[in-house]
Amino acid sequence: MDDVLTAVLQRHNFLTFVIIFLWGFYIMLTRYNLVKKLVGMYLVQTSVIFFLVTISAKRGATAPILLSTTAPIDPSAYANPLPHVLTLTAIVVGVATLGVALALCSAIYQTYGSLDEEEILKKLE
Amino acid sequence: MSRHFPALLFLIPLFAAISMPVVCLKHRGWSRPIALGALSAMVGVSILNLSNIIENGEIRYAFSGWASPIGIEWVADVLASLILVALSLLGLLALIFAGPTAPKDLGGRIVHFYTLILLLISSLTGIVFAGDLFNLFVFLEVAALASYALVGVSGGKALFAAFRYLILGTLGASLYLLGVSYFYAASGTLNMADIAERLPHLLTSKAVVGGLLFMFIGLGIKMALVPFHAWLPDAYSYAPESVSPILASLVTKVALLGWVRIIYWVIGAKVIMNEIPILLLVGVFGSLAAVIGAVLALTQTNLKRMFAYGGISHIGIILIGISQGNATGFVGGVFYLLNDAVMQAALFFLAGMAICHYGVRTVEDFGRVGRQAPWLTGSLVIISLGMIGLPPTGGFFGKWYIILGALEAKNYLAVGAILLSTLLTLAYFVKLFDRIFRDNSSSSDALNHEPPLQFKWCLGLTSAAIMLLGLFSDPIVSLLLTQALPPGL
Repeated sequence: MDDVLTAVLQRHNFLTFVIIFLWGFYIMLTRYNLVKKLVGMYLVQTSVIFFLVTISAKRGATAPILLSTTAPIDPSAYANPLPHVLTLTAIVVGVATLGVALALCSAIYQTYGSLDEEEILKKLE
Repeated sequence: MSRHFPALLFLIPLFAAISMPVVCLKHRGWSRPIALGALSAMVGVSILNLSNIIENGEIRYAFSGWASPIGIEWVADVLASLILVALSLLGLLALIFAGPTAPKDLGGRIVHFYTLILLLISSLTGIVFAGDLFNLFVFLEVAALASYALVGVSGGKALFAAFRYLILGTLGASLYLLGVSYFYAASGTLNMADIAERLPHLLTSKAVVGGLLFMFIGLGIKMALVPFHAWLPDAYSYAPESVSPILASLVTKVALLGWVRIIYWVIGAKVIMNEIPILLLVGVFGSLAAVIGAVLALTQTNLKRMFAYGGISHIGIILIGISQGNATGFVGGVFYLLNDAVMQAALFFLAGMAICHYGVRTVEDFGRVGRQAPWLTGSLVIISLGMIGLPPTGGFFGKWYIILGALEAKNYLAVGAILLSTLLTLAYFVKLFDRIFRDNSSSSDALNHEPPLQFKWCLGLTSAAIMLLGLFSDPIVSLLLTQALPPGL
């Protein structure tokens, strides 16, 4: 039990990811308001992006731009740029999804006069 | 020139989609000719591409000349090219079908509709060709965004269905991305071929197994595998009639193809058969989906919902074929995927024609018009033969090879699941035919005018394709067996 606990606490970045992910998932499951569901969805997306950043972070590393072409290259001095680029793309995808979702929400509000899931379901029948 | 066909296949619909809102700002009527032209060009190029690849072997297309582990790579092999021919042909048919229905469904949003359809087709092309896990994610999301918008484009009841689809689809995409980042953390690369090379040394890593599971759940939501299928029936049955054929026939199948790429080309046949028992999981989920989907289809009273559940059960049958771990089952699964794409398109053409032309939405009412509508009933006979899997159709040969594969793998539970699902499919089609042939009420006057020519063409061509896939199953299967098998199978 102690081993598990120390293993978890040593990886506090993963722990944070799990908490944010589950928090978002919980909001998506339990809230009836559609915009609140979207907040939960965005938390889930953000948690995955956070995970991508956290596995690529390095202490004391900097942007991968070589200042001198002759000096030997020390890999530990530079951060890996690829996960950061992936993060950027994932953020763009997330924003596009949120845009479509908000447009749908506003259309739903104009059609049903409510954003509450139960009220909408009542009107659908 | 022929080397650039894969990129061309993606760029034709993409450019048409991007230019459409600008060109059609003043002339709304131009949107349809542009879309039809782009898709016809795509059909031509995809056929040329397939024949080129059968002759000269696969193309690994490096974008902007950056070679594979650094740049983004597309893999155009026989499997991808064959699926792409089906994709572009079905896309063209769906556009032809939308001719009479779209103005009625969508009114002033016709330009949006054609733009989104072209965007959807170009991103599906991207999924089929992707040789990079992250590239696959991006195209999955573009395809998903286009489908959310297409489901909701007509407003009304569809809006809420589209919202639910969006919530679940985004959850699936996030889980897939999480799986990809696990793979990246373990292997340090995203290129499929590169991961496949490094993976044998990483099998002790829990990140690989965990990542694979997250990808399975994520893509499972996208392909509407049974415990995650809740978004599909609402989305497809409330979607406008011009939209549901293309969604039903292509979107879930292409997500399934992405999963096939990951297990057989990234993880590799040897590993999944000996080290990571993921095939067992896929097989169990597939068997459940095949049976539960068919049971749910039997209980439906709405025509489109019934067909949507039929599609869910067929996803299960394809997965059973894929999961047998031998060449026969794999080829059967892929061949059935092609057949299912055609059959789903045909079923939703049929439902769309019943709704738009005859104003019929339920199974009960369908019986009322069935006898007076020869095109409807005639094509329903052929489609049901294919869905049940009777000999002259392609559906039979797909199921046949899947069952042979399952027997070869001594997987009798899977054989039982396929047979049970076949019986249940028979049951829900019998329910439909029972309504048609038992109904004796005299014809109503609304039925006397002929259905539009486009409806007849679409139904006729898809029904013919169901038969032709059966008649020419031998050359297609032997092509798949000789040239499209994953390495090590």
